[in-house]
Amino acid sequence: MKRSTARAEEKEVLLDFRKMGAIVRKNFIVMTRDPIRLIPLLVFPIIMILVFGYISGNTPKHISTAIVPYDNSELSQDIQQEISNSETFTVNHVVSTEDEARRLLDEGKVRVIVVIPANFEDNVKRGVQQGITVIVDESDSSVAATSKQGLMGIISKVSSKISIQKITSFQHSVGTATMKLQQDDRSHVNLYGPIAEKLAPAEVYMNSEKKMSDQEVKALLASSTSLHLYAPYHDTTLLDENNTWQATPIGYDAQEAQKGAAMQSSYLMGSAISEVHAATMVARQADSQAISAASYNNYKKNVAAPLQTINVFTQYDANSMLTPVVYEEKAAYGTGKRAIDFVIPSIIALTIFQGAVMGMGRSIAGEKKDGSLTRVFLTPTSNVTIIIGTLSFYTLFETIRATFLIIISIIFFNIKIEGSLLLIGLIILIYASISVALGMAISSMVKTEQQFMAMAMLISMPSMFLAGALFPLQAMPKFMQVLAQFLPVTYAGDALRGVMIKGFSIGYIIYPLAVLLLFLAIVLGIVFMVFKRDIE
Amino acid sequence: MKNIIEMKDLVKKFGPFTAVDKINISVKEGEIFGFLGPNGAGKTTTISMLTTLIKPTSGKALVAGHDIVTEGVDVRSVIGVVPQQFSLFQELTAEENLVYIGRLYGMSRPAIKERSDYLLKIMSLYDARNRIAGVFSGGMKQRLSLAAGIMSKPKILFMDEPTTGLDPQSRIAIRELTKKLNSEGMTIVYTTHDMDEAEKICDRITIMDKGKVVADGTSEELKHKIASHHEIEIEFEELSADILAALKKLPFVVSLSHQGDIINLTVKERKNVFFMLSSFLNKRNQKVVEIKFKEPSLEDVFIQLTKKDLRDG
Repeated sequence: MKRSTARAEEKEVLLDFRKMGAIVRKNFIVMTRDPIRLIPLLVFPIIMILVFGYISGNTPKHISTAIVPYDNSELSQDIQQEISNSETFTVNHVVSTEDEARRLLDEGKVRVIVVIPANFEDNVKRGVQQGITVIVDESDSSVAATSKQGLMGIISKVSSKISIQKITSFQHSVGTATMKLQQDDRSHVNLYGPIAEKLAPAEVYMNSEKKMSDQEVKALLASSTSLHLYAPYHDTTLLDENNTWQATPIGYDAQEAQKGAAMQSSYLMGSAISEVHAATMVARQADSQAISAASYNNYKKNVAAPLQTINVFTQYDANSMLTPVVYEEKAAYGTGKRAIDFVIPSIIALTIFQGAVMGMGRSIAGEKKDGSLTRVFLTPTSNVTIIIGTLSFYTLFETIRATFLIIISIIFFNIKIEGSLLLIGLIILIYASISVALGMAISSMVKTEQQFMAMAMLISMPSMFLAGALFPLQAMPKFMQVLAQFLPVTYAGDALRGVMIKGFSIGYIIYPLAVLLLFLAIVLGIVFMVFKRDIE
Repeated sequence: MKNIIEMKDLVKKFGPFTAVDKINISVKEGEIFGFLGPNGAGKTTTISMLTTLIKPTSGKALVAGHDIVTEGVDVRSVIGVVPQQFSLFQELTAEENLVYIGRLYGMSRPAIKERSDYLLKIMSLYDARNRIAGVFSGGMKQRLSLAAGIMSKPKILFMDEPTTGLDPQSRIAIRELTKKLNSEGMTIVYTTHDMDEAEKICDRITIMDKGKVVADGTSEELKHKIASHHEIEIEFEELSADILAALKKLPFVVSLSHQGDIINLTVKERKNVFFMLSSFLNKRNQKVVEIKFKEPSLEDVFIQLTKKDLRDG
């Protein structure tokens, strides 16, 4: 009697830690006494991971995208336009560096980054195969898959467009060159014409039956000499390896001509004629070579340009000809992240939420119903102590459960924790408090566990489907996406994913963390408001 | 003896329903105070108010000098409660339950150990202290509940129908313990259906009905209150309608009922009634098998006051 009086004189202690400790201990005993209750609590999330981890939802649309155009050419703009026009993507950021874009990805503002490399168009024109780098946030398997598929399509489309252009241009060049060459053949004929005309008298002579007079032969030779002068001998190698004209005259004419002249008097006409004939042949050959040279110059002038183009093409890699632009993928965070890696944090968040909310049904509504809470109310223990004590236990329990889940994830799903464990713990702690407090608020408002279940369903069902763990949020109608912004599970999932999978430090998750703290403040406020000692 | 509990125009309404209607009851320090009434009379509601579980709609009550509304913590510090419903943790063992309750009263660990050992022993639960309360029998549960109620050595113990549903042995055990605690100086507010029980252990009794106090006093006082109405049972060898009509006309007869050859008379006064009845019957030459006065029980008092059987509610 003395003791209790003494306690009473202490007046109401708002937060009695010893009593809180007793509440925590009692709940711990209650929880562990009934292991059957623990089994579904622990098995449920594993089933969730297995069953829902691989579920694919609807095709996401309007995935927020950042473009990093290191090249601002027309071709680069074409590609950007192509991405913008697609229903799959919404380009909300065009930034100048990849780092900047990665920051946006980290903050969750974009899900996809498209990097167009520097000198993109130039390189494409030079026939150097170009890669467009795509960085996809793997956190949402469906979004990631859709993004990749979409971008592969766009890039391949652009690539084949360029490829077709190139082949067309090649065909055009070849055509031009062929045409020029054909023209050149004709000009060759044309060039040859006058010379043949000039040679005609000799031909006439050679083919005539009658004997020519000296005078006639002399005249013929004269015309022949003029040909000699016109056409110097040339080396047959007209072009060197650099395709430059090699005009190297070799033995010449004058002697031959004089020889011919001397012959006219001393040799028989017949032999002279044969000499003339030989000389004419030589001249003709020389002439034809000269014509070739002239025509080559002409040819060079006309055909060189298309040939040059063809030449460039021939130097092309066949691959670059067929796929001038390729899709290249870069990991957003580390390497080898799988869909499951990104689902796990959401599952954990969801599980904490479900477990905490549902668990509180027994805790307040149930204890209210079976009178054991009344028993606590009969003691000089403040509401704050009861609330915080109960919250502490369940928060602790959920934290332990989440830890267990993470361990399970590591063992069974080979998850690698990238970020700080302490930070993960902090997020879980805050989030578990919110969930437990929410459950407690509902539990305080209802009279029975059955009522509680109905109420809790109202809150936990949308969380389950809007958490983004089971179905990608981006595949959902706009109003649902907005609704998701009011669910703590959204933020907890983001924060957990950020730290666990992306390896974020606290700076990157300030926003979700702040929202979570706000939720906690609001929910706690509600709990203190609705938690009534009055057991009417 | 001074009053340890005082109620002044205490009212509790649940919506339009008035569960407790302006009651003024005092409980003296050191007594066993009996709270009687049919179900729905407002006993439990009154106890809930006194134990600070619910707030009165209007009126005032002091428990050990503390206002039940403004000094809830002080009230809770000096009271112990054995609720109507077993309200301990089914998953906890007997000892763990007591330890938990002790902690919530802010008791130190050694004090808890000492007190719980003592209580488990006197409640004959010591051997079962490590068993889960959920598997206890009704009697064990009730003894444990009592132990939890007095864990903090309260000045006042509220017992809300502690023996309801128990076997006779357990009832006796609870009653004995109640008496023992009272003899150690604990004031006890005892709610019960059982008139016999109330008569046996309560120093004073208040009868409530429909939220109002209909009578209070010691069991003798209460019986005396309805002593203005006495019942006499007469068994005739053969009852005739004439006699019945004549009896009804007698000035001292308040009411009359009959069953077969037996009639029940309610009379205003006991004085001379026997003589007057004898002469009346003699005059008419009636053969009577038996004629007897019925001693009023608390139950009769109750029925008389509430016009209904206790257990009907």
